[in-house]
Amino acid sequence: MPTSIRRYVPFWLSLAVGIALWEVAGRSTSAAFMVPFSATLVRLWELIVAGEFLGQLAESAKLFFTGFVLALTVGIPLGMLLARVRALRIGIEPYLMLIYATPLVALIPFILSMMGFGFAPKVLVVFLFAVFPVLYNTVEGARSIKPEMIEVAHSFRSGEWALWREVMLPYTLPYTMTGVRQAIGRALVGMVAAEFFLSSTGLGQLIMGASQNFDTGGVFASIFVIGLIGVGLMRVGLMIERHFARWRQ
Amino acid sequence: MADAAITATVPAARAAPAARGVLVPRLITGLALLLIWEVAVRLLAPAYVAKPTTVLMVAPHVLTDPVFLRATGNTLAAVAEGLAVALVFGTVIGLLMGRSPALEKAIRHYVNGFYAMPMIVVLPLFSLWFGYSASTRIATIIFAAIFSIIVNVADGARSVPREFLEVARSFRSSRLRMMLNIVLPSSMPYLLAGFRLAAGRALIGAVVAEFFISVGGLGYYILYNSRSYHHNEAFVGVLLLAAFGVSFEVLVQAATRRFLPWYRRDEKAD
Repeated sequence: MPTSIRRYVPFWLSLAVGIALWEVAGRSTSAAFMVPFSATLVRLWELIVAGEFLGQLAESAKLFFTGFVLALTVGIPLGMLLARVRALRIGIEPYLMLIYATPLVALIPFILSMMGFGFAPKVLVVFLFAVFPVLYNTVEGARSIKPEMIEVAHSFRSGEWALWREVMLPYTLPYTMTGVRQAIGRALVGMVAAEFFLSSTGLGQLIMGASQNFDTGGVFASIFVIGLIGVGLMRVGLMIERHFARWRQ
Repeated sequence: MADAAITATVPAARAAPAARGVLVPRLITGLALLLIWEVAVRLLAPAYVAKPTTVLMVAPHVLTDPVFLRATGNTLAAVAEGLAVALVFGTVIGLLMGRSPALEKAIRHYVNGFYAMPMIVVLPLFSLWFGYSASTRIATIIFAAIFSIIVNVADGARSVPREFLEVARSFRSSRLRMMLNIVLPSSMPYLLAGFRLAAGRALIGAVVAEFFISVGGLGYYILYNSRSYHHNEAFVGVLLLAAFGVSFEVLVQAATRRFLPWYRRDEKAD
């Protein structure tokens, strides 16, 4: 057996055991409580064929990417600005940490009563969840630059552009990317929270609807898909982070 | 004296920065942010929207209101209970996973998978299982908290220096004693880092669960008051949540510095 296949044997084995356990647990409990793996897949297929599922998935994806891209376009430049202007960074650091440590879900009721049920308030939720990790980590990266490095660059008469290219970016970007990875995970939480508590759409609505109809199969199918999306996005985030981490040395 | 000497050598950047040069810009920024908020709300938003002056005005009343205090106590008790369960089980699973390659291979993908899953998607399922009751909240808190502890403790258990274990083995110490006396203490910084993440996630889990199932607590207090346009009162609740979030951070950082001065590492973040 080639080593490339052998390496994945434990993975497939653990997957098979997990699915078997799920199947057995599902079959030996009441259908209202838990649904076996096979029935979950069947239900998922039914939802896809009914045409509802893919539409909701697209709806969620639209929300996720709008909020996430907005968070990056605001978070990265703002973070870099804070990184460069030391006085500003020192001034704002504790407040960033404060917001970073606050459970922002608590703001959702305010957003609801001020902005209502449209698409914009939901984007705002995803944006808020995603932007602070980017900002916080970029500032953290800026803090890792020794002031002497900038002094040395200045004493060699580096211009602003050269300073950015040679010192600022290589030092802060890896941290920013850690922030981007965290932001992916948080944006996903924000997406689901927005779909639960603001106007109900997308995968969030699918889960809620299924749960209200006591359609346990539908609940499992939707959670299963969101779990897979979470794992996939986490992978992407780690790849992005690792790619940039090579700079750190 | 000795303590001061130790803390002074620990992470210079983390330790209190030269206080005076930092305090003034921070105060100015803070006041500026409050001012922007106040002016923006006065000019642009309806009267019920929370702004610093009105929040400050209602704060003394809210903070002494028995309803508010009971809600806070409710939420905190649930978070503490859930965290305690997550800490005990998460540590045990994490230690075993970190030291046993077979177990690690068997459950790693599941732990990582659940960790990557947005924790709040399980709420509708938990509400089916446990009903619209406080048990759903506890279950959500445990689910939200446990995986970051498992992942971090397993990392810690994996990185125990091999020599420590070899010495213990050559003194014929039992596996249990090695776990308790070597692996656990040397995983401590990882455990604290995991706990810090877990505490934040537990708080989110509690608030979201209270929104979802309307069980009494700080999250429900915020939801109820903002629905009836008492935004200022509700915002005091948000501030309290922020205070809890920050104090978890500060406590863990202080504990790491105080009890584990030998330790320095970028913790594994969510």
